Amino acid sequence: MPMFVKLSLMAAVPVIFSVLMYLIDKKTGFNKLKYAYKQIMIGLVFGIIAICGTEFGVNVDGATINVRNAAPLCAGLIFGAPAGIISGVIGGTERFFAVFWGAGSYTQIACSITTVLAGVLAAVMRKFLFGNKKTSWFYGLVIAILTEIFDMLMIFLTNLSDVHTAFTIVRKCTYLMVSLNALAVMFSILLISFIGNHKRRERHDIRRISQTFSRWLLLCVSVAFVITISFSMFLQSQLTQSDTLELLNLNIDDVKADISDASDKNLLDLTKLIANDISRQDDISGDYLDELKERYDVAEINIVDNRGIIVLSTYDAFINYNMNGGEQSEEFLVLLDGETKEFVQKYRPTASDSSIMRKYAGVALGSGFVQVAYDAQRFQRDIDKQVIGVTRNRHVGENGSIIIANEKGEIVSDRNDNEGENIGITGISIDTDTTAQEECFTAEVYGQPCYCMYVVPEGYYVIAVIPQEDVEFSKDLSIYITAFMLFLVFGALFILVYLLIETLIVNNIRKINNSLAEITGGNLDVVVDVRSNEEFASLSDDINSTVVTLKGYIAEAAARIDKELEFAKTIQYSALPSVFPPYPSRTEFDIYASMTTAKEVGGDFYDFYLLGESRLAFLIADVSGKGIPAAMFMMTSKTLIKSLAEAGNEINDVFTLANEKLCENNDAGMFVTAWMGILDLKTGHIDFANAGHNPPLIRRKDGAFEFLKCPARFVLAGMDSIKYRKNELQLEPGDEIFLYTDGVTEATDIQENAYGGDRLLRLLNENKCVDSKSLCELVKDDIDRFAGDAPQFDDITMLSLKYNNKME
Amino acid sequence: MTINMISEDNQIILSLSGRLDAANAPKLEAELKKSIIGVEKLVFDFKELEYISSAGLHVLLNAQKVMNKQGEMIVRNVNDTIADVFEITGFVDILTIE
Repeated sequence: MPMFVKLSLMAAVPVIFSVLMYLIDKKTGFNKLKYAYKQIMIGLVFGIIAICGTEFGVNVDGATINVRNAAPLCAGLIFGAPAGIISGVIGGTERFFAVFWGAGSYTQIACSITTVLAGVLAAVMRKFLFGNKKTSWFYGLVIAILTEIFDMLMIFLTNLSDVHTAFTIVRKCTYLMVSLNALAVMFSILLISFIGNHKRRERHDIRRISQTFSRWLLLCVSVAFVITISFSMFLQSQLTQSDTLELLNLNIDDVKADISDASDKNLLDLTKLIANDISRQDDISGDYLDELKERYDVAEINIVDNRGIIVLSTYDAFINYNMNGGEQSEEFLVLLDGETKEFVQKYRPTASDSSIMRKYAGVALGSGFVQVAYDAQRFQRDIDKQVIGVTRNRHVGENGSIIIANEKGEIVSDRNDNEGENIGITGISIDTDTTAQEECFTAEVYGQPCYCMYVVPEGYYVIAVIPQEDVEFSKDLSIYITAFMLFLVFGALFILVYLLIETLIVNNIRKINNSLAEITGGNLDVVVDVRSNEEFASLSDDINSTVVTLKGYIAEAAARIDKELEFAKTIQYSALPSVFPPYPSRTEFDIYASMTTAKEVGGDFYDFYLLGESRLAFLIADVSGKGIPAAMFMMTSKTLIKSLAEAGNEINDVFTLANEKLCENNDAGMFVTAWMGILDLKTGHIDFANAGHNPPLIRRKDGAFEFLKCPARFVLAGMDSIKYRKNELQLEPGDEIFLYTDGVTEATDIQENAYGGDRLLRLLNENKCVDSKSLCELVKDDIDRFAGDAPQFDDITMLSLKYNNKME
Repeated sequence: MTINMISEDNQIILSLSGRLDAANAPKLEAELKKSIIGVEKLVFDFKELEYISSAGLHVLLNAQKVMNKQGEMIVRNVNDTIADVFEITGFVDILTIE
């Protein structure tokens, strides 16, 4: 199976299970389980997925790549804090013991700690950063990256004694582990939000503070991260470069100094021997000098007098040469000052012929001095051994070395035993025209890319070589650790600042908003109490004082309305006959009526009046609705009906005409149910009409009360052009009639049971020989008893009429 | 009280349950006001309705007035209590009760 297929399969496992668990949670009875059970089960499932991550790691290039941390992260971020922690602990513990059956022990502690912490991190983030809700894929990605990077850092921390191996592992793992885990978490969240979005989230035109803030914060932190990391990378490579240069320089300088010292000493010693020989001769001839030259195998010997003029030389051409004549030779004149006894020069072109390279030394002799010179081959023969001694075992950095070659390009000293071979065998080729001394250049030395630098002292090519890997290792290590640390620090910074803003500002605003919502919802007793900082304390105080002021105004307004309603009530009640007995001189009938409104003013009414001497009109009515509108409609209806009745209209015409009038200008669509009768006191005959009202109760002398069944016509003011019917009824002395509104029969108790017509009938029949007033009061008392603490919803109105005897 | 509305073409079926009293009537009134425009047939299903008060009658009356202009209104599945109320108040005369 190709590597990437294995890797993607591995990363797909947490994704598949996240989606599966989500579907199970949403579509089956699983979500009816208790929260705790659910969390434990999800934690277990993802713990097992984490274990699978450990056990089915894929070996890439010698390092085991696994997708373990994605499981606790998915559990915590998607399903809940406890699930995340449980699965993290399971995965981490298993990883710790997995070393006994094959998992790498090198990363044992780092990996197990990180997996536990991944669960904890997901839990904490969900709880405190995301308000215990599923987060967006984006944060999942970032958190997964943070976790994996923490894992890598932990590998370093737990292996501080062996950074080299740790770094090798980290370098191999980082990209794959980070990207696989991060992608797994990201796709889990992405897919789930895709599935879950049956109802697309409402688009808010206005973003929440925390959203805007977190976006900007993230942007700033990311930019800061990129800038810091780029700067640090730049700085690191600069530093490494200068460190490498310095290291090469230092080594080269050392070797150069050693070689110079050795060759200086070699020539000086020779010169001293020659000077000694000369000083022992009384007379020195050119032949003797030649003999010395031969004996010591030097290139030339000159004797210079106190004026700086060559008096004798192995080269006849040099005799009488003034040492002031060239820069190189002039330097030797210091030997004439009487204090300097010896002087040696570097290997360099001679003053007389710049194509000849020589090394000169001089030793004071008498008032003049003896000057001796030789060439490179001569002294290198003497000092090659010393040169090998100072360079063969010299280390440049950890694995670097020094290679030395002579002018002909033959290797003098080399750690790989290639002495005598051409320098080309190492892989280095130096073109002195294009590559300057003490300048860094790259070359493959024995097949390994290296940084090199050369100098040419005393006719030797000294080349310092350091493998690039050595240099890059420390650079890469620094960059990796810096990047990891920066990522963690910026991540922590982001979380910290976000939490601070959340707790200091957003939460407080939310609290205030909640209190305000309650206040606007009508509860003016709510006190806003956010005192975590001065600004919010003062805001709370301001809101509270505003509410107090508002409460004052409302109380004032309420008091005014109460007063006005009280007036309205007085007016309404005074419109109804309220003096009983109303006609003390009339003994033919006994009438009583009462009204108890549910609110201050009501929509019920009763009325009675004499039409002429011998006819009594009486009615009861109920306007739909309650309160001021009903009360106003009631006043109109009452006045209208009375005027129509007093104008002498028949009962049916009173209703028909009243209905026409009321239907005009009835924009509010109110209506009135009414029952009205006109009793002829002489005969006991009643003409009555019913506009949708409850049937009255009637009791014949010595009989029982019963409902007066009679088909009703439609309510008043409901629809125009309704013709009301006249119905007739005959009362005999001793008969009585009881009118009521539905406020009586539909009065309810606490359990919403209605008082009902049967109960009314029973009560009335239990109290036969009482007068009208007592009867009404009895009914009212019984209703009150029945209703108990239940509030009165409708107006309760009754009218009782007793026909005592016929009018004479 | 709960209101369940099925709306198709120019027809609305409103199924009410519970008590249609002064406390709930405004809800029904608001619902009707919103959806009655352009409706040609309005059906009230009172199968689940237990009780109707004068405030409920008020809403029915106003709905009937509107539907008189633009189509028809039918009240169906009326229980005995409510049928009594319709009888007593004379609403039987103006409503089409099935």
